[in-house]
This record gives sequence, C-alpha cells and structure tokens, in this order.
Amino acid sequence: MSSLGKWLAIVGLSAIVVVITWLPQLLASKSPAGGPVVEVWAWNTAADSLNALASSYTQRTSDVHIDVIRNGTDMQTRFLLSLAGGVGAPDVCQLQEREVGKFTESGRLMDLTDYAARYGPDFAPAAWANCQFDSKTLAIPWDLGPCAVFYKRWVFDRYGVDPDTIETWDDFIAAGKQIHEASGGQTHMMSLSSGDLSEFFQILMQQAGGSVFNDRGEIAMDVPGNQRALEVMRALLDSGTTAQLEWMEKLSSFNSDAVACYPMAVWFGQYIKDYAPDTAGEWGVFRLPALEPGGLRTSNLGGSVLVIPDQGDERKQAWDYVEYVTCVAESQVRQYRDYGLFPAYLPALTDPYFDEPDPFFGGQRVHRLFSADIEKVRPLTRTKDWAEAERYLRQTLSTWAAGMDHQRYLAESADALGRKLGRPVAAGASDPRGVTE
Amino acid sequence: MNPPDAAVSATSNPANKGQHGRRLRQRCVANRWFYFLLAPFFLLFFIFGLYPLLFSLYLSFLRWDALSPATWVGLSNFAALAQDELFFVSLKNTLLLGLYHIPPMMLLAFVFAVLLDRQCLKLKGLWRAAVFFPAITPMVVIAIVFSLLFGAELGLVNYLWWRAAAVVGVEAGVLPWLQSESWSKVTVSLLLVWRWTGYNMVIMLAGLQGIDRSLYEAAEVDGATRLQRLTQVTMPLMRPTFLFVFVMSMIGTVYMFDEVFVLTKGGPGVSSTNVGLFLFDEGFGAFRFGYASAAGYSVAAGLFLATLLVLKMGRKDHTA
Repeated sequence: MSSLGKWLAIVGLSAIVVVITWLPQLLASKSPAGGPVVEVWAWNTAADSLNALASSYTQRTSDVHIDVIRNGTDMQTRFLLSLAGGVGAPDVCQLQEREVGKFTESGRLMDLTDYAARYGPDFAPAAWANCQFDSKTLAIPWDLGPCAVFYKRWVFDRYGVDPDTIETWDDFIAAGKQIHEASGGQTHMMSLSSGDLSEFFQILMQQAGGSVFNDRGEIAMDVPGNQRALEVMRALLDSGTTAQLEWMEKLSSFNSDAVACYPMAVWFGQYIKDYAPDTAGEWGVFRLPALEPGGLRTSNLGGSVLVIPDQGDERKQAWDYVEYVTCVAESQVRQYRDYGLFPAYLPALTDPYFDEPDPFFGGQRVHRLFSADIEKVRPLTRTKDWAEAERYLRQTLSTWAAGMDHQRYLAESADALGRKLGRPVAAGASDPRGVTE
Repeated sequence: MNPPDAAVSATSNPANKGQHGRRLRQRCVANRWFYFLLAPFFLLFFIFGLYPLLFSLYLSFLRWDALSPATWVGLSNFAALAQDELFFVSLKNTLLLGLYHIPPMMLLAFVFAVLLDRQCLKLKGLWRAAVFFPAITPMVVIAIVFSLLFGAELGLVNYLWWRAAAVVGVEAGVLPWLQSESWSKVTVSLLLVWRWTGYNMVIMLAGLQGIDRSLYEAAEVDGATRLQRLTQVTMPLMRPTFLFVFVMSMIGTVYMFDEVFVLTKGGPGVSSTNVGLFLFDEGFGAFRFGYASAAGYSVAAGLFLATLLVLKMGRKDHTA
C-alpha cells in the first residue's frame, strides 16, 4: 500500500470510529423542536408509562422533549456509576423503593425540598418518609404496592369457601385446610416457597409494625412485630396447605388449580391479566387478612420513586416533568388505569375511576379495595442499607423455615446484620417506635 | 509491512550500547506501521484490562461505595473476609459444584468426542452442532426452561418421576429440585453438565484429531483390541487436553455467574451461592467495592496456586 493510501485508510477508519461513537449523542442532544431534552431512565411497564405521559406533557410545554430510555434491570448499577463519575446520569431516574436510601444518602441527588415540600401531606406517609434524608426531600414517590389477596373464584366456589368470611390469618389458614382437604391435596391455599419467604415476611412485617432499622438507624430486628410475622408464617408452613412454587411456576399456576390464591401487591394483578387472559372474569380479590380481629388489613410491597441527579443541565425542566407525573391526579390515574402503577399521590384516589368495576375480577371494585387504609401502613426506616438487609433476609429465612425458633432467628439476625453493616443493635426487644397496636 | 526483527540479545559492552540503541530506533522506525496497527489493542488493553486490574488491587485496601469518598483501611478488608461466614460458604459451594459437575461433564464430553471422531459416523456436522448447541443458547432462555422443568409442583421432571413411580406402584414424594438447600447444587450441576458438555466435547475432539493415526495402526498391527487402543494410546495422549479442560472448568466454576444468578439467585438461602455470585453481590449489590476486590484477589491467588498444583501434578503423572 502506498504511503498516501495508508494515511487515507487511517483517516477513513478514524472518521468511522468518531461517527459511530458520537453520532447517536449528537442526534439525541437536540429535541425535534430545538428546545431542551429531559432524559429519563426507567424499565419495563414503568418506562412505557413515562413514555405515554411524555407525549401529553410535551403537548402542554411544546419546547421540552422527554426522552424516555428503556433500561434493563441492572439500571441502578449504571446509575450509580454515572453518579460516581459525575457524568452520564439522566435528568430523571426511576428507583425502586427498596434501593432509594442508598442514593438519597449519596449527596448526588437534587434537593427537591423547596419545590416538593408542599406536596408532602398528599402522599402516603410510608412512601413520603422513604424519600426524606437529613430533613431534605430527595425523591418523589411514584407508585405504591398496597397488598391484598388475589383468588380464583372457581376454586373457592367449588370447595365452598366464602372469601368474605376470611378476616384474619387464622381464618385464612382454616380456609386453606378446607380447600386442601376437599381437593384431596391437589390444591394448595398459596405458595410459600423459599423464594417467597422474604417478600411475604416483608408484607407481614409492615402489617405487624415490625422493622429492620429503628429511627436512629440501629438494627431493630428483634421486635414484637417481626415475631408476630414469623408466627403467622410458621402457622402457614405447619398447616401443610402451602405449595413450593418458583416464579415461573407461579406464573403458569394461574391457569390451573394448583394454588387457590396469592397474597400479593397490587402490581401482581397485571401479571395475572398478562399470563392468564383466558381466565378473565373468574378472579376476585379480598383484603389482606389481619393479624387479629379488627387489625390492619393491608400492607405494602414494592413501589418506586423518581429522582433528579444534581449533575444535569435541565434540572428545572426535569422537576417540571416529575411534578407532572407524580403530583397531578390525572397523570397518576392514567398510569394506574393503563399500566397498573398504583398512585402514591393520595388525591388521585378520589377519582371516579377507583369506583369502577374491573371486568377481569368479575366486576369487583378492586381499585377501591386496594386503596383502603394505605395511609395507615407505618413508615419504615430503610436507611442506605435496606437492600443489603433484604438480601440477608432472603439468604437466611429458609434456614428459619427449616425449623429455627423465632426468637433465636431474630436475635442472631440482629447480631449478624449489626456486624455486616457496622451498625449498633438496638437494646431490648421493644417496638422500634415505642408504638403499640 | 514488515514483521519485526527478532530481538537482539543485550550486550554488556558499553561501546556496543550506543550502536545497539541506534539499531533499535531504526527498527522501530522501519516497523512503525506494525507498531501503529498493534497500538489500538494495547491501548484498549491498558485502559479496559490492565488499569481495572491494578485499580481493583488498590481498591482492596479501601472502603468505597463509589458515592462517598474512599477511605484507606489497610488490610482490614482481608481480615473481615477471613471472618465472613458467607465467603467460606461460597467457597465450599463452589468446590461442591465443581465436584458435582466437572467429572460427569468431562466423561460425557470425552464419550461424545470419541463417538464423533469415528470415521463411520454419518451426519457428523449435525451431531456436533446438536451437542454444542446448549453452549450458545442464551442463558435466560435456559433458566426459564430449567425452572419449568424442575419445578417442585408443576415441573415436567417431577411429573415423569411420579408417573414412573405410579407404574412401579410406589408413592413418590415431591423432589424439591430448586426449593431445597440440599438439592439446589444438584440442579445447578445438571444445568452445567448440559450446557458445557458440548463446548468441552469440541476441545476434546480437537485433541483426538491431533493424535497421529499411525499410532493406532501400529497398535492394531501389534494386536491391540479397540479397548486397549483407547486406554493405551488415546487416553495417555489426551492427558494434556484433559488437563486443559479440567483447569478451564475449575476456573469457570469459580467465576461462574449467569447460570446461578438466573436459575437460583444463589438460593435457597445461600445453598448455591458460588464465588462469582458472592463477588457480584458484594460489589454491585451492596456497593462494597473494596471488600469485593479483596475477595476477588484472594480467590484469584488461591485459584492461581490450585492451577499450578494441578498442572504440576499433571506433568508429574505424565513424566512418571
């Protein structure tokens, strides 16, 4: 190759590399209208929901373009790295409630206190508390995971169980035994496999006022609420009416009689609709059984928030969009109606839509059922270590399920978590907030 | 474009040093295109290979969550590791997973390789592709299929097990493939055998095809039976290939991640958490990058020693 040819080849290759590297960014940096672009990271249904709202938002504010980037499940790692590097973060990011503490304590998120403080009373206290750190509002609740029990009407009808008679977990176990015996052991009341233990414990823990951390950030595992949660789980396991279904099996069980019902958060209903469309109209929902007669009949599992990193140039516009998504009743209702994201913004719950029947659940008014009492779910102190504490529960609850004593498990867990997270263990087995039922 | 000249041995004579340096410069200039075109690889290797490797070594002496300022903690990450029960559980799980799956996988890979090496076999390409196929199937698809196959209540394997037991007239219980701490490693090992047998079969096939056919002819002339040819000719000459497959499988088991992550997430409990998953959880789950680096380097050091030992043993046997 001649010398000129070599240089031309090198220049040509370099140009291709530069174009491939920078072209997408050059194209993405301008909105079609030439105004600012707000980049949003989210995943799955959440991304679809934000995208749908982006169109109506852009119609209101014609010069701002919302660019929703649909990320995979490992989005929080990329978000962390972009915050750590001080570059590359989106203008708005979705975070799960369970991991938000890690980011609010990072000091890399925009302080939204001046903009959002007035909305505080409009959110479920448990969700709002999770967005505060050091007296600042650093995230805005987006959706909640109120819990109830999804049940198969055809199974309950066949074995003569009336869901209205199930008020407590004791009633639930009794109904489970009736179904299990009448079906000759073919139908279990619910699934409580080793993979279910951690999530189910969190549902019961919040219902019972239990905790992992107290207000001072100390480990507060050995508390009456957690003991009560474990007692219910033990009773369920000992009843012999629970199945051992892994996630994929659980999805395929929607179409069979293997399991009669699923105590879960509201978002689980969307899975049932997606995986068992042929069973439309044959499902129902009843409220989460209480720990004792007259007790709280709901809990929370899941839910997410929106945050604005403090490194973006479009923070003001980002807040404007976040406000439109999270603090406008119409937007929140639309996200629930079209994408199953239950509103964290309480004024949205007064919308007439919540009194409409849902044909999939036999015409039942399930939206109103899920919204009942959600403001009574106690705020949990999550801290930046919540996700790790949750991982610990996932790793150890199967050992407890194999026959370990509740008291011993909670005491050992408190010690182990204290060592692992470098946090003191709260003295005495008292309620974390000194509140009794 | 000229290839670089062979390296010139260094000389201790100071008078020759200047001349030697000049020659080196001349060669560099003469071969500048060679070095220029090699440069991108080394540039990328330094940025994405060597730098992270050295940075993670430095990280192992820090406490750092990527968001707060890093603090120097000396050897305390290593000291904490020595007391971390989960770390030792993950080491034990890794060892057991290796023991459960490497021997049957190697045996099956060898059997398939011998069968595919036979001259008389028809449709060789098809069989080879069929056995190799699991190695290129996306892991998420495999995990979904395996979790449905091995489900305790609704899984196909248990269904067949119950049917078989019914035929014999025995009442069979539920086999908790993915739900029991005792069974989870067995299920992961089955997946590993299924997935990696084909890959190792290809390596073994290459090893078999590298054996000089005249050795078999000589053995045949000497009256060796087919079994004797296998044990006296094939097996000894395949020893370096076996060693290679074993060492690579050993390293693969330690750093394996996706199989465990998508099938069991390390559970139930921590019963199938191997070192790879432990490192991921500590690094990208708990954001304890210093601790994860310390664990990574400790494991790498152990693995390096284990590999040396295996290679030495292999060579010793070979020369004995």
